[in-house]
Amino acid sequence: MVPIVKISNLDKYFGHLHVLKNITLEIPQRQVVCLIGRSGSGKSTLLRCINFLEEPSHGSIEVDGVKVEGGEKGAQHRQLVHDVRLKTGMVFQEFNLFPHMSVLENVIEGPVIVKGMDRKKAIELAEQNLDSVGLLFKKDEYPMRLSGGQKQRVAIARALTMEPRVMLFDEPTSALDPELIGEVMNVMKKIAKEGMTMVVVTHEMGFAKDVADRVLVMAEGELIEDAKPADLFSNPKDPRTKALIDRYRNDDN
Amino acid sequence: MSLFSNKDSDAPKSQAELLFEAQKRKERLFRTNVAITWGILLFFLVYLFSGPIDVDTQFIRDNMLFIAGGLGETIRISILSIIFATLLALFAALGRLSTIPPIYALSTFYVSLIRGTPLYLQIMFFFLALPQVGIRLPGLWAGVIALGLNYGAYMSEIFRAGLASVGKGQREAAMALGMTPTQTLKRIILPQALRFAIPPTGNEFIAMTKDSALVSATGFVHELMWRSVKVGRAQFHNLEALIMAAIFYWVMTIILSYLQNILETRLAKGDR
Ligand SMILES: Nc1ncnc2c1ncn2[C@@H]1O[C@H](COP(=O)(O)OP(=O)(O)O)[C@@H](O)[C@H]1O
Ligand SMILES: [Mg+2]
Repeated sequence: MVPIVKISNLDKYFGHLHVLKNITLEIPQRQVVCLIGRSGSGKSTLLRCINFLEEPSHGSIEVDGVKVEGGEKGAQHRQLVHDVRLKTGMVFQEFNLFPHMSVLENVIEGPVIVKGMDRKKAIELAEQNLDSVGLLFKKDEYPMRLSGGQKQRVAIARALTMEPRVMLFDEPTSALDPELIGEVMNVMKKIAKEGMTMVVVTHEMGFAKDVADRVLVMAEGELIEDAKPADLFSNPKDPRTKALIDRYRNDDN
Repeated sequence: MSLFSNKDSDAPKSQAELLFEAQKRKERLFRTNVAITWGILLFFLVYLFSGPIDVDTQFIRDNMLFIAGGLGETIRISILSIIFATLLALFAALGRLSTIPPIYALSTFYVSLIRGTPLYLQIMFFFLALPQVGIRLPGLWAGVIALGLNYGAYMSEIFRAGLASVGKGQREAAMALGMTPTQTLKRIILPQALRFAIPPTGNEFIAMTKDSALVSATGFVHELMWRSVKVGRAQFHNLEALIMAAIFYWVMTIILSYLQNILETRLAKGDR
């Protein structure tokens, strides 16, 4: 299969801190990838390098045929980064909905302002996506009046309405009360079923087991394991992976 | 004793309800006492000027309209100045966040210069000093520029806080959608920052209506203060004239504070 995301020899430094160490990775279309690892291992940074919320120090990122070299500057680079961002949707741990806009306005903001889409058409598309996350009836509400789970579902609809090729999720359920995690996970499952390519940083091992096609494990800025979920959970190769999985097991009990 | 003499309740009240009612009653009593004291103070003030201190009521009647005629000018200069100040404050605040050295420098230089010199001096500078180098501004505009520059420097702090109140997640969400920095500023950051800045800007406006009195010293803007000094001096009735101006300023700020309160409750209600 053709890779839709291609990360080549990626390095990221924060000052002297070497956070990502020579990461190379290909993600085929329609694959659901879970990225797990201890806190501080570099999961968010890797995810944020894909859409250049963090500028890679070295190496390149290619998304759907648009290749961007890290660490460059200038108008051409900015244009490429912009193109990559149009191909990626991102969902944050803290939702980051725009509080001064209604749910519908949040969702059409990107298509109308960034893509210059006709407002009517954007609303149509937005309503479809709000419906698919089960929140069409909240379209005129303001984010403040939504539960965390509802906010995150709106955030997912907002990202989907840009019609990205890849969806990036950075711990989408970590800020939620336990009873609200399910509704967000269900929406993510649905998107996965519909064939979206997804990269998901998560601590939800259930999701990794049931939905992911592939699990990547990070430790100290390196990818230490890359396997199918069944193999990874039954037969972890790296002792650090084993320790991580044991920790999650204990948390569940 | 009075706690238990509540007629319209048959069922005994719970401890919490009783405490709550006692609390309410206390608050009401406090407010009543405050209102009564205000009344006494006001009465005393009126009494003072109607007996012990001799005021010329004829003079007051004769000049009431003339002094009141300055209200419009006071409000006009305040509104124009606050608009100018708001724009300056916004640019100064954005400049303060800039990573481009000359822009950052310009912003901090402006704020430092203005905050380091008296408002009275700044006003005089625009009226008296500029004509010496051939720049003659119409009275109103010199006042507006001086007040606007001054308040802009102080208000830049408000806008800085407003911009800081918008979390970095907002910028990231906008960037992830593909917004340019300008789009992000215009559509996401500024609307939230401005909303945050509305109540304190209202406070500044109220303060400005009073500081606009300083502009009278130039003699070119015939607002409240200028008019009261003019008739007071001319007829040796400074006492009456200044009292009248004081009442006008006072009533005006009370009304503005009231409007400000309404606005704030509205904003708080619609808080998202
Ligand atoms: N903006 C930043 N500046 C400096 N250090 C950072 C920054 N973001 C992350 N780091 C550091 O990079 C490392 C990896 O962070 P992160 O990618 O957030 O890890 P994870 O998402 O796996 O918890 C951590 O040591 C973190 O402290
Ligand atoms: Mg993280």
